[in-house]
Parts: sequence; structure tokens; C-alpha cells
Amino acid sequence: MKIRLIDENGLRVDGRRPDEMRRMRMEVGVLEKTDGSAYVELGGTRIYAGVIGPREVHPKHLELPDKGVINCRYHMASFSVDERKPLGMTRREIELSKVIREALETVVFLEEFPRMMIDIFVEVIQADGGTRTAGITAASLALADAGIPMADMIAAIAVGKVDGVLVLDINEEEDKYGEADMPVAIAPHLNSIVLLQLNGRMTPEEVDKGLEMAQKAVKKIHQMQIEALKRKYRVEPEGLET
Amino acid sequence: MSLGLEKRGYGIKIMKNKIYELLKIGKRIDEREPLQYRKIEISTGVVEKANGSALVSLGKTKILTGIKVEVGTPYPDRPNEGVFTVNAELLPLASKTFEPGPPDERAIELSRIVDRVIRESKAIEVEKLCIVEGQKVYMIFIDCYVLDYDGNYFDASVLSAVAALKTMTLPVYRVVDGRIEAVPGEKMKLPMRTLPVSVTMALIRDKIVVDPLPAEEDVADTVVTIGYDSEGVLSAVQKSSPGLLPVNMFKEMVKIGLDSSAMLRRRLLEGVGDG
Amino acid sequence: MQYFSENELVVPGQILSDNPRQSGFGTYVREGKVYASVMGFAKSINGVLRIIPVSGRYRPQRGDKVLGIVSDVKPNAVEVDIGGETTAVIKPHERETTPLKIDIGDCVLAEVKATGLKGIVLATEGLQKIPSGILISVNAAKVPRIIGRKGSMLQVLRRETGCDFWVGRNGLIVVNGPDPAHEFAAVAAVNMIEREAHTSGLTERVIQMLRKMLGRGDEDSSN
Repeated sequence: MKIRLIDENGLRVDGRRPDEMRRMRMEVGVLEKTDGSAYVELGGTRIYAGVIGPREVHPKHLELPDKGVINCRYHMASFSVDERKPLGMTRREIELSKVIREALETVVFLEEFPRMMIDIFVEVIQADGGTRTAGITAASLALADAGIPMADMIAAIAVGKVDGVLVLDINEEEDKYGEADMPVAIAPHLNSIVLLQLNGRMTPEEVDKGLEMAQKAVKKIHQMQIEALKRKYRVEPEGLET
Repeated sequence: MSLGLEKRGYGIKIMKNKIYELLKIGKRIDEREPLQYRKIEISTGVVEKANGSALVSLGKTKILTGIKVEVGTPYPDRPNEGVFTVNAELLPLASKTFEPGPPDERAIELSRIVDRVIRESKAIEVEKLCIVEGQKVYMIFIDCYVLDYDGNYFDASVLSAVAALKTMTLPVYRVVDGRIEAVPGEKMKLPMRTLPVSVTMALIRDKIVVDPLPAEEDVADTVVTIGYDSEGVLSAVQKSSPGLLPVNMFKEMVKIGLDSSAMLRRRLLEGVGDG
Repeated sequence: MQYFSENELVVPGQILSDNPRQSGFGTYVREGKVYASVMGFAKSINGVLRIIPVSGRYRPQRGDKVLGIVSDVKPNAVEVDIGGETTAVIKPHERETTPLKIDIGDCVLAEVKATGLKGIVLATEGLQKIPSGILISVNAAKVPRIIGRKGSMLQVLRRETGCDFWVGRNGLIVVNGPDPAHEFAAVAAVNMIEREAHTSGLTERVIQMLRKMLGRGDEDSSN
């Protein structure tokens, strides 16, 4: 039985238009024991990101003499998905840990902390599509919160194709039953892609159009990131010892 | 009141002195009284995909518990009882001393203590969770995640787990044509006969404090966690730290713990909307 | 041309100026323009643009006074835990006639003599052993605000609470007062400054809070 993902009015299963994002919420500095942290909600997806570092490298043989090392762990809580996820890292979590790390590594100034490492933790407490992109968005906030030097922030979103229509910010149902999903992470000021994957079938034109949709969305997400950072660290300093 | 100093084998002399000096006049380093808990915040139903969930803050310690329900086979010696397991994880972002990877002895101890408090108090009426005797029963997975650690993950985890259990919903299963099916539109609450809580206490020389901070645990002679049910019957005890525990001090702890358990239960009921 | 305003929080990647010679701490140059690399407030000092970070771990600088706990005493070196998973070292001089009387567990305030591949070295000159008090930890980025311009905030804290303060640039602080009530008030004030470091009128609010806590509410705070 084929599920209809776009109805006769062109609306999606949750009533959204193809170019509409779900409600997004961000908060910075939500955890005490990390050096930087953030919480992001995108529809039903809920994620905590934490950054610890720069710190000494363990095990020591992974230390680099001229630059820092980034570790990233993308992990889903067992209750975050419909079917309980058993304990331990799955292959998917390992792959996502890698691509998220590589996205963030691209913009972090690793040369500024040789022989040190930065740990990034992305904890998904509920998954409803777009977890890796929401995770990167959260991790970028956590890195800024931790004062880690970077060339740019990163904002990310997943574009999909359902019933032949390109849609922005796919939810879980669309991810499961759609024809393609393409997560994209962008450094907005550098206007460059730092993460890109495609799972499914898309023509080159669709990929172009999808990237355009992603770029527009990323601008809005980036603006939300800036606002979230400003909310945490309000206005003027006075009497600062410089 | 957190210190950026972790993983020490030595004590901080001025803190040790100050903690004991303050205790002599009935105060602690964060201005609390010895038998006073930090601020407790409880929110339930925070993860809709879970059958039950609760986020608990105890001071700056934060625990998130999620519960998932499946259908499974009972233990052979308990053919008509539902089954539950407790698993706790110390997430690496909760503390610089928590490393990623399989649960270490602290995580396992936490899992087993939370399990003990709930299981031995017979809090869950497992005999009401049978679907087909000897074949199919409800399986309840209780997963506690420590998101932020500032001392006493024991009490916070128990509160979180019990709050999630109290507010969870389970599908109602019926046997239809030899198959187990969830009755659409019908949900049930978890049958519970008591609300267990735990009270963790630190012994600092001859003074007992509840809900210890990491700095207090560092200077404590020892730390003990006691689980109580709604009738004040103990269901679990764990001395979770090396050090001498004089018998009379433990007896004192049992009494102090009883009073605190009543307070915690009240907070728990308020937190789940039954207060 | 300057692309930011004085009291605006800048974020990594934000453009600051098109004069690459202005690039200072917390900024970088790309294609002839200066951008922020860390989050904070951009300040132009002597023509150099630098960012005052609002968060992040402590970065030891020569001349900083840091507070730590002695974690190991070896014949040629004393190790001091200065938080942030960092251990600094004091190397007593070979011809030291009076050996440093410090033991494991002691709390000390010392000046950073050197940083680099050999680690963080603290000076023996001017080293203070802190006798007693409450040890607290704040985010290192907030310490300048706790000290205040030319020590002004610290003066206010000392005056209003009657406590001694040992403030480490690494975010560790010891407060020692005539009695617990004054010490708790001092801790509350430090926590308030840490929370509200980037707001205006902070000094006034701190004074009001302290006077209220210590029962001097009716006095004019300009005293």
C-alpha cells in the first residue's frame, strides 16, 4: 500500500508546503559540565550537543604536533526512535559521527591548539528526521559557546523528494517512504558546503534546486543561531579589564 | 558550586576544613542545611516517542529517563509476570570524568541500584503485565541518561525513572486470531503498588548530609544510598564509597533517610501532577 | 571600514573590517578582510581589532595570576592543578635556601612565568599559600568582570562583604570572610557577576544585593 506523501493541494503529511520548515527552537549553554553546549528542536527531533576542550589528547599517540584533533560522537538514546535502539554504537551512528566531525573540522582552526583535542557530543533524545543536520547545527552552537576558534558557523538542513516533489526539512515519515533525502550543511559566510550526502534518486536539476532550497533555509537557521547566542550573552560589557 | 578540578586522588585542604567548619554550625558550602535537598525540577512526557519519560534536575544534576515497551517472553520461572530492565548511561557530556564507550563500573552500579530500588519494593505490579501466560508478556525498558553531573545521580535517576513509570502509557494488547495485537485507541497506565524513592547521604566525620555535592563526596568518610517505598520499608541499601561506616551512624541515616524519602515522594507526586 | 558596533556580540565568521592589518586576537584574515573567529565583543585597541571572548577555557598567559591546588610534590617540581584538566608546575630554584612549604592539597596563588611546549610554569616569587576559605569556580572569561576596570569591582566586593578574595585568572577563586554569612554573600555576588557579566548597571545591582543580604539595605550605595 503506497503512502501518499503529497496531497491534492500540494501539502505534505503534516500540512506543510514543500518549502516550509518545521518549527525550530534553539538554546545555548544548557549544560553545566561541558565547555559549550546547545539544545535544538526541529519538529519532533530533539538534540543536545556538548563540547569539551581543548583538552589533552587521550590516547597520547593520537596527538598531532602542529594541530588539534577533533572527536565527534553522534549517539541516539534508546528511546529516541519508534523501535527501541539497543545499546552500543550502531553502524549508522558511526558513519554519522564521521561525517559530522568532518563537517565541523572544516571550519575549526585546528592549528590554534596543537597537541590538544576537542570532543563533540551529539545526543539525540528524540528522532523525527533530520537528526544529523540538526545535530550539526547544535554542535556549531556548542563550539561557539565553548569559544573554539572557527572560520564560520555551520547551519544544516535536509532536503528530500517525496511523490516527485522536492521538499525542505523532511520528517521521519518522509524520510522512510520518500524517494530521496539529501542532508546539506553549509558555512553561510563562506557560502560553502561542508557536509553533503544523497540517499535515493535525484536528477542533476533536482540536486541543484534542492541545494538552492537548502541555501535559503540555512540563512534562516544561521540567523536563529546568532539570536540564540545573543540571548545567552546579553548586551554591553561595562568596566571590563582589558 | 562546581569545581573545575576532577580526577584527584588528594583532597583540597581548605575545602575539607571549610566544609567541616560550616557543618559544625549546621551549614554547607552552598548554604544548604545538612538535611536539605537542592532544588528539584521534574517534567514528564518530554519524549513523545517513548511510552514514558521524565527529565529531572536536582540542583545542576540532570537525568533524562525514557521508557519503551515491547512484547516479549517471560522468564521460565515466572511465566505470568511482565519483565523490566533498567539501564543507566553516564553520557560523556555530563562530566569530564565520563568516557564514551561501554558502561563502566559506575554506570553499572547506578543501573543496578535504580533497578534494586524499583524491583525490590515491588513497585511495578508485574503480575498484571501478562498477555499470554508462559508465552507473551509486557517488556519494559527503563533507560536513564545522565545529561549533567553535579553530584548524586542516584536519587535523581530514581526520581526520573519512577516519574517516567508513573506517567507512562502502555498499549493494551489482546489476542486476536492467535496473534497479539494492540487494541487501537486504548492505552493503559502502568499498574504500580508503591512509589519508591532513594535518599543518598554522605557521612562527613560525625555529620550526615543528604544529597551530597561532589566536593562533599570528596571529603566524606563514605556515601550511602537507601531506597524506601511508600510505607517506609527499605528496599535497597548501597554503600557506594570506600570508608568506615560506624553502625550507629548508619542507624541514624536510616531515620534521616525516612524523613527525606517522604519529602521526595511529595515532590515526585507534585512533579507528575498528582500532588 | 568597520562592520560591527561596540556592544554587539559577534559570532565566528562575521565580517569585522576590510583592513587586514587590523587583525588581532580572535580574528582572521581571508581575501583581504578581517573576520571574527571566536564569539565575543570586538574591540579596537591601538588600531588592532581583537575579540574579548565571553566563554571558553582559560588560556594561560605570562603574567597571569592563577589559583590552583598542589597535586604532587616531587624533588625538582611541584605540580599544581589549575582546573580545566590542566596541571602547571613550579620549579623551585636549585639554590633555594628556604624550601617552599607547600604540600599536596594546599591551595596556592602564583604568577604564570612561562607557557609553551614545556607546559605552564609558575613563579616561586610572589607565591601565596591560601590559608582558608571557600573555593569556587567561575568561567575564566568572566574573571575580568569580577576584577573590574583597575580592580574596581573587586574593591566593591571587598568593601561590601568584608571578605578577602584571591582571584585566579583561570577562574578559581577563594573567598574568606569574618563569618559564613559574609562568605555566602561574597559567593552569591561572584555568581551574580558571572551570570550577568555583559549587562549594564551590574555594579549597582551587586551592591544592592549585598546590602540586602547583609542587612544594610537603607544606605545610599554611593557611600
